[in-house]
Amino acid sequence: MKQLPAEIAVGGTRTAGCDIEIMTHEKVPCIMKEQENMSISEKLNILADAAKYDVSCSSSGVERRGDGRGIGNSSRAGICHSFGADGRCISLLKILFTNECIFDCKYCMNRKSNDVRRACFTPEEVCNLTIQFYRRNYIEGLFLSSGIINNPTYTMEQLYRTVYLLRTRYYFQGYIHVKAIPGADAQIVEQMGLLADRMSVNLELPTAEGLSRLAPNKHRKNILTPMRQIQQGITQNKEELMVYRHAKSFVPAGQSTQMIIGATPESDYQLLMVAEKLYQRFDLKRVYYSAFVNVNEDKDLPSLPGGPPLLREHRLYQADWLLRFYGFEAGELLSEQKPNFNVLIDPKADWALRHLEYFPVEINRADYQTILRVPGIGVKSAQRIVKARRSGNLNFEHLKKIGVVLKRALFFITCNGKTMYPIRMNEDYITRNLISNEQGRRPSPDGLTYKQLSLFDDYHMGEEESQWKSII
Amino acid sequence: MEEYYLICEDSLEGIFSGVYQAYLQKCPLERVHLIAGEEENYRLFAVYKRCESSREHAEKVGRTLKRELGEEGYYRICRTLASYEADKAEAVFRTIVMALHRKTGGKILEDLKDPYIRRVFELDRTVGNETHSHIEFIRFRELTDGVLYAQISPKNHILTFLMPHFTDRFPLENFVIHDIGRNLFAVHPAEREYVMVSGQEEWKLPDTFSEGEEKYSELFTEFFHTIAIKERTNSELQRGMLPVRYRKYMTEFNRGNTGNTVNK
Repeated sequence: MKQLPAEIAVGGTRTAGCDIEIMTHEKVPCIMKEQENMSISEKLNILADAAKYDVSCSSSGVERRGDGRGIGNSSRAGICHSFGADGRCISLLKILFTNECIFDCKYCMNRKSNDVRRACFTPEEVCNLTIQFYRRNYIEGLFLSSGIINNPTYTMEQLYRTVYLLRTRYYFQGYIHVKAIPGADAQIVEQMGLLADRMSVNLELPTAEGLSRLAPNKHRKNILTPMRQIQQGITQNKEELMVYRHAKSFVPAGQSTQMIIGATPESDYQLLMVAEKLYQRFDLKRVYYSAFVNVNEDKDLPSLPGGPPLLREHRLYQADWLLRFYGFEAGELLSEQKPNFNVLIDPKADWALRHLEYFPVEINRADYQTILRVPGIGVKSAQRIVKARRSGNLNFEHLKKIGVVLKRALFFITCNGKTMYPIRMNEDYITRNLISNEQGRRPSPDGLTYKQLSLFDDYHMGEEESQWKSII
Repeated sequence: MEEYYLICEDSLEGIFSGVYQAYLQKCPLERVHLIAGEEENYRLFAVYKRCESSREHAEKVGRTLKRELGEEGYYRICRTLASYEADKAEAVFRTIVMALHRKTGGKILEDLKDPYIRRVFELDRTVGNETHSHIEFIRFRELTDGVLYAQISPKNHILTFLMPHFTDRFPLENFVIHDIGRNLFAVHPAEREYVMVSGQEEWKLPDTFSEGEEKYSELFTEFFHTIAIKERTNSELQRGMLPVRYRKYMTEFNRGNTGNTVNK
């Protein structure tokens, strides 16, 4: 891969293979009189506030030791440095380069038609903030995104200048996540990939119709093209690294994307199918789901009196984990007939209740994949079980002691052929107990549970209702 | 039958010396027990012996453990011994006895059915978690001479486990991590190996910070508040992820405290 000379990226005449003339400074709306005297604190406030709806803040996926000549390293597991008032991890200095934007996406605070204060960093300011925050151990690296100034390629070049400076002049070896701007020239995306650890292109909305309705300037094709390019770059780079150990790595922490949940009427099933396709066909590391927050009061956007759809987002993340780590397929969890997740029960328990024929699972004999499908048993517990049972049979006491939470699992497992309590393998019975468990009650051993009337309790309401109707 | 209790110094060297001495006792190993630090309640029908630390003996035990458990297993034993819990010496000793008896290598640490091995597992995990939390939540402040200074007061003795991470991360920085409870300093001069220094009573702790310190701590605190989405406020989740006890030394939770003296 050919290295773009710094002057071209920084000074800007004409990038090879790029059709668009790089704008000269007079045409740049971002450098305006007012902003020249704007303090760094004001800029940071505006541009962090503008970046906060972007979900991705992970710093994982790449293990890199410092070479002793600069500052920084990177840990495979990722490191969170703080947690904000919303409980979300703060791991990267998450900012926009500028919140100027020529696009007019209806869900976005920074859209062209909004009258908000605009600001723009200089590359040096971003570098300084990153280094000074990093050496105080506030952050794990930089997350750099941007509104679109002039055109996508120009915007991408600004980001490249910044990251190039940070890597080469400040010798920063920590984590860098950069957004690929849809529509930017392929060459600049490739150059960026050689400096960044992770890149992401936001899918924004799961379907092309939704996208054209809410983001008239964005096109599905423009989003998928850089995504495919980055994927191919990563695959190619892996081959290069196999041949030549010191080849420059390209987006070593993989790429991710993000979808907004609840701004358009798609079902959970559609969302999950899209996510599954992204994992399979684009080799994405992560798909993020972002509960829609209505900041613009646009007539095309749903009003959400109950606040952002956080429970729905939570269920999608649970299902996402099932896809990535538990060997589930989207089609197993949801279907055309049942397009949305259960509000009361997590997707894994929901699946298990519909497939009681697989249960109970014998802890001492079942293989790892089967144990992994038991509700309440996660990757760590399953691994511990498989390792610990090598030196003898396990019973429920052992399971408790090695840290397996039995609250939900006890309905689905046996140890040496026995269940923990006398349990009926009946969908209604287990469902009731799982839900009452949430409220802190123990399952009744005789199988006689009272059914408390509440608005949410009845799942078979539809069936019962129709039965009643037929009787009447 | 009498039980033998070996009281050893509460350090890696002390406890490994204790293990060495235990094997020299002329009685079955089941009746030998290790205690780290001081015994509070002396029992009847038990013999208490104070065990001298010996570097030579400790190194022998260390070598044996590396051979029998592998590097990974040895590291986990060391981390277990950094725990503040009183029963760590006994748990490690019993685990070592079992490891030498069964000869299954590092796999023995996976046999969580055994109460002692499980205890080693738990202690190791707790120390590992606390180390990781400190890697996340430690905050450095820049002194007037450019030295980065951080304070911690961990439950377990994790300072040595923190240093490899920060040495690799900041090779060109002069930085100091100060364990307040144990009065220990880990000092890293730029481009050199770090050293551990035990603090002295009359030392005055640093109380003047650089100009940049005021500016950047202020900027980060603002960033910290800006980045949260107010429609999603969830302080319960925040407390779960970032327990209150860690916040004492964290810049963003102590706004305006940067200039305060930290004298004891």
